Order: sequence, then structure tokens, then C-alpha cells
Amino acid sequence: MTAPFGAVALLLVPLAVGSDTPLLRELGPGVYWLVVLLFGVLVTMRQGATDGPAQVAVLDLAGVTVGMRIGGRALANTVVLLVFEAALVPVAVALYDLDLAHWNWWLPLFPLVAVGLGTLGALVDALTDGLAARTAIGPLLAVPLAVPLLLAAAQVPDAARYGRPPWPWLLLALTTDLAVVLAAVVTARHLQEGG
Amino acid sequence: MTFHGRRLATATALAVLAGLIAAALAPPDALQGDLQRLMYVHVPAAWTAYLAFATTVVGSIGWLWRRDSRLDRLAAAAAEVGVFFTGLAIVLGSVWGKPVWGVWWTWDPRLVTTALMFFVYLGYLALRRATADPDLRARRSAVFGVVAFAQVPVVHMSVLWWRALHQPPTVLRPGDPTIDHSMLAALLINLVAFTLVFVVAVRLRIALAKAEDALERAEIADGRELAGAAVAAPRIARSTSDV
Repeated sequence: MTAPFGAVALLLVPLAVGSDTPLLRELGPGVYWLVVLLFGVLVTMRQGATDGPAQVAVLDLAGVTVGMRIGGRALANTVVLLVFEAALVPVAVALYDLDLAHWNWWLPLFPLVAVGLGTLGALVDALTDGLAARTAIGPLLAVPLAVPLLLAAAQVPDAARYGRPPWPWLLLALTTDLAVVLAAVVTARHLQEGG
Repeated sequence: MTFHGRRLATATALAVLAGLIAAALAPPDALQGDLQRLMYVHVPAAWTAYLAFATTVVGSIGWLWRRDSRLDRLAAAAAEVGVFFTGLAIVLGSVWGKPVWGVWWTWDPRLVTTALMFFVYLGYLALRRATADPDLRARRSAVFGVVAFAQVPVVHMSVLWWRALHQPPTVLRPGDPTIDHSMLAALLINLVAFTLVFVVAVRLRIALAKAEDALERAEIADGRELAGAAVAAPRIARSTSDV
């Protein structure tokens, strides 16, 4: 359900900033990645079938540790986010008349953003598990830490368009991914109840 | 307040007074005039925020290692004080920026990363507030306290990594500070004063947290039913006394 909501956001932005086509073409990539970041966090905070207390107890009895659960959740988030990103691309292209001349630079961005955001979402999901205000606190924890991903993703298309090398921005996204994965690996075992 | 605490409070008050006098007596800036005196509060506030978040990460790592509730209280108290001083640095920077840059806010990397740091630690405090169980609260906030600290070096290095409006470091840099030595002396006195204010604020907040914990424990103990309280003694029908 988040993908249609993201599409609605893409539809509403031009109503707020103006529907001038050159302006929208300029803003398009940034708005697309902003929607992916904000709505993608909601995607990662979704309640899955294995999140109920009974299911978690069964997983604990089966020897599935919190670390494994966070890893599985991160993997699932990554896949769902890739689908989410793919679903919004045609909407952004149609509404913002995006310049697709440098589309090849977008390709590494999709998995880099999905892995970083997916892993961060899984970690934050574990931190806010069971809280009444989970849907409010989760994005507050995840979004500021995911800003390097937004920055990298928004700058790559710009750099490609103006003939600058986009590599530094891809490197920033990759570094953020590695930092988030490392943080999840190091801290996961401390989230184990009674650990 | 203990004898040690009273001495610390007195030293802090004297340091703050010395900081005010030093800021007033320091020479005005050649370009900005007296406006530059905001530096004697803005820079120490930012320094205190760094110190606070470093204390939070040390307390968090310590809690994960030793499971000592005192370390959890230290991390939480330092984070609260750090959020206050980050907010103060942002507001003072904005007040300083308006006459110098012509705007209250500009999309400068130092400003943006500092604002993000503010929200990251606001999230830390929200996470603590939302988690009722003390052990779970300590565990989760310790993990997030470690992860959140990644933001601090990014804020400090932002003026070196990106070309920006905000000036690069003048004191915490290799070589001789680029600032005039009389201004540097006033700045250092204020840094000491703010550091002492930080220590006093954290000590007071820890004492308050201890009192809150004691109250919470007392309330739980008061409202708790004794084991077997639901089992009544046998009674004869319509009788008011036990058999």
C-alpha cells in the first residue's frame, strides 16, 4: 500500500512547487529519492507475519537469534524496497519528464539505497519492537541516519548530467551501506532479550 | 548537596563569571565588531554538545559491557544535556548568521549535519521515553547511543570535507590556532566554564534519574498484590466472620 501513497506524493509535489516542466525536470530525481527515503522507511517498519509474540517465541525456541532475525528482515526489506523503487520509477518519469540520458548511473543506486535503507530499517525495527509509538519513533531514528543515502542518490544524476564523475557519490552510498551493516552486525547480539 | 558538589557548583559559578568577564573584555573583531562575541557562547555550546555525546557513547558502550544502571543514567543524562547545547548552538549560530550571511538559515553542511545530529539525539531521548521496562530501555538506548555517535565526527569534519560558508576549525586543528591569542584566551575560559556547567548539569540529572527510579520501584512495590491474596478464607453463608 505504500507504493500508491508514494505515487500520490510524487503527484502532489508539483502542485506545491509549480507545474513548470523544466523546473520539474530539474527537481525530479531529488523528489523521487526523497519519496523513496521517507516512504521506504515506512516500508521497512511494516509488521510482518513473523512479528507477533507467539511467532517470535517459536523462532527463539528454534534457535533463531535476534541477529539472524535482523539479517532476514534486512534482506526482505532490501527486496521489497527494490520493488518499491522500481514501481515509482515510471511514475516519476511520466510526471517529471526525467532525463534518461544517463540512466546507467541510476542502476547501482537502486541496490545501494535499498541495502542501506533496508538494513537501517531492520535495526530500527528491532530497537522499537513492541513500542506503542513505534511508527512515530522509528522514522525519527532512521531518517536522519539515512541522509547520506539521499544525498548520494540525489547527486549522482546531477553529476552525470553536468559531466562530473558520479563515483564519489556512489562511494558515499557504499560507505554508508557498509557502516550500517557493520553497526547491525556489532549491535544485534545486544538486542537479544536476557543477553 | 554534598560538600564535593557544593565546591563544584561554586567553581562553576566562578568559571561562568570569569567567562562573561573575559568575553566582555576581549577585543572586538575587525570586521564583525561586537557581534563576534557570540563566538564565546556558540563555540563552547557546540563543544559541550560534542562532549555530551561522547559521554553518551562511553556510557552506552559501558552499559553493554558491564550492565551497570549507573552507566545507563550517565548516557541518558549526557544526551539530554547534549541536545540542549546542540539546540543552543544552532539558535545562536542562526542569530549570528542573520547579520553576517543575510539569512537565518543556509544549506551549509555544518548547519545541516548539526541539525541532523540534534534530531538523531532527539530520537534517542524519544526511544528512552517510549520504553517502559528499565532493562529494555537501557539495552535499546545503549545500542542506539553507539550507532548515533557516527554523526558526531561527520559534523566536526563537515567544514573540511565540503566547501562551505561556515568557517573551518580555528582551534581544533593541526598547528597554531588562526584566532588572535587574546580572543583565544577568552574562548578557552568559556570552554572551561561550559565544561563545568556540563558536569554540574549531568550530576544533577543523574541524581534526578536516581530519584525517579526509586519512586518507580516504590510505586511498583506499593501496588503489587501479595502471592495468594486472591484466595479467601472459608466462610459460612451470610456470615461476616471466617470459620
